[in-house]
Amino acid sequence: MSKKREVLQGNIIAAKAAVAAGCNFYAGYPITPSSEVAQYMSAELPKLGYDFIQMEDEIASLGACIGASLSGKKALTATSGPGFSLMQEHLGMAVIAEIPVVIINVMRGGPSTGLPTKPAQADMLQARWGTHGDHPIIALYPAFSDEIYSETIRAFNLSEKFWTPVILMMDEVIAKAHEDIEIPDQKEIAVFNGADHPLDEDLNIYDRQIGEIPPRVDFFKGYPIHIDSLEHDRHGWPTTDPALVDKMQTLRMQKIYSRLDEIIKFKEYRMEDAEIMIFSFGVSARAAIAAVDLARQQGIKAGLFQALTIWPFPERELKERFKRIKKVLTVEMNMGQMKLEVERVATDDVNTRALLRANGVPFTPAEVLQSLKEFVK
Amino acid sequence: MSRYEIRYGAVGGQGIVTAGALLVDIAVEKESKYAVESPTYTATVRGGPTKVDIIIDSERIIFPQATAIDFFLCTFQKPYELYKNRIKDDAIVIVDTNLVKDLGDTKNWKLFKVPIINETKKQLGNIVLTSVVTLAITQKLTNIVDFQNMIDYVKHWAPKEFYDLNMKAIEVGRSLV
Repeated sequence: MSKKREVLQGNIIAAKAAVAAGCNFYAGYPITPSSEVAQYMSAELPKLGYDFIQMEDEIASLGACIGASLSGKKALTATSGPGFSLMQEHLGMAVIAEIPVVIINVMRGGPSTGLPTKPAQADMLQARWGTHGDHPIIALYPAFSDEIYSETIRAFNLSEKFWTPVILMMDEVIAKAHEDIEIPDQKEIAVFNGADHPLDEDLNIYDRQIGEIPPRVDFFKGYPIHIDSLEHDRHGWPTTDPALVDKMQTLRMQKIYSRLDEIIKFKEYRMEDAEIMIFSFGVSARAAIAAVDLARQQGIKAGLFQALTIWPFPERELKERFKRIKKVLTVEMNMGQMKLEVERVATDDVNTRALLRANGVPFTPAEVLQSLKEFVK
Repeated sequence: MSRYEIRYGAVGGQGIVTAGALLVDIAVEKESKYAVESPTYTATVRGGPTKVDIIIDSERIIFPQATAIDFFLCTFQKPYELYKNRIKDDAIVIVDTNLVKDLGDTKNWKLFKVPIINETKKQLGNIVLTSVVTLAITQKLTNIVDFQNMIDYVKHWAPKEFYDLNMKAIEVGRSLV
């Protein structure tokens, strides 16, 4: 028997997926266009015996999520640009202390309170570098209703697997649109749960081989462990010893960068024989797919590389394609953010261009087509 | 069928958000079609200009926003002026006779002037039912969803005590166009 298709709002799809992924704690401060995530969780989590807390602001929201995560919960918060800015300090704490947490950022026009609440894709580099210091980060970006579901699940799984904060990026268009979706059965969903890890007397919670992930140790299990936002040794105690700092930095970077195959995900559309490639994501990628079809009708061999993993950047995958394709058009609702990454990765013989706009109006397929036509002239 | 775009414009409280939600639910749940609906939200739905864009297709919808609208229904002057864009030259356009007076360029539209709000109040006694009246008008003029599927869905959706009133609202909507 075929499953039931229904119409659900993007934010609600993300919230449902979070619950399916095992989310059992939510702390947040509602902000449009992300508020329905909090709305759904406030109704659903108590029914399941879990906690929902409306916090006084976004700083406290991520703080509460970090605390909950340290005691073994799968924590979620959702926000938009202004709130995401406030979360940057705690985001760094989650990175350095290696604490899993999922943050949904439904992007609206900025900076500051900006364009409430017109769509944007302008927090792309903030997701990467918003918190200070060198650090790895994982950020995912769905475009279709089924991807909102699957990428939310993946955000929790990656967070739990790599002991890192994961940012799920969305734009206002896909988060606020009500779209048809077939919600998978719970038994079809692969949920990753880190195994509980017994500690010996040494209480080593951080030291391991390069490329390995720290073991899961929760608060309230009887271990006198120390978690700190300062750089730390294997016990979590503060240190400034240069050799030790080097080691901890490397451990954190390499747990992500040595396992990119488990993190990078993308989709391609009509790329087999493409001579011009669009690089895009979110709602802009949806305009691009339609534009690729229109371009093909006019004899332009266009294709799309749609990034589902934004960070780490799919560098190796693009380099591979640049061996064959010498024209790339980046389409994004900002004044030129991910295009910088595309340009960085492109070899000298690749012609790069970008279609950019940050006024709250998404690109239409016709506009992307026009840009393709100008590019091939 | 291929991609069909519908836009409702109104002021908050006139029921179009509900009409849009009902329409996509019928298309998806009763007819296994694909649909995206994007309603306005926050303060505007409480008295300000409100719009809902609906796209229905037999195939998966790629671009989720309206770009060439086939059917536009509007029940107030200000939203008419605000949202009278991206409408196809040969679109079906329905305006409220009493509340949208200044039409401007009507291109080659198939234009219907209908006293939607007045007749809803007069015949049904409650402006809330504009939602179902709007749905019935859309169904009759576009056949975008099947008539019986609409009836079945509204029956299932409406609270029991308002069942007859909703069925009457469908009749009123159909009688207006």
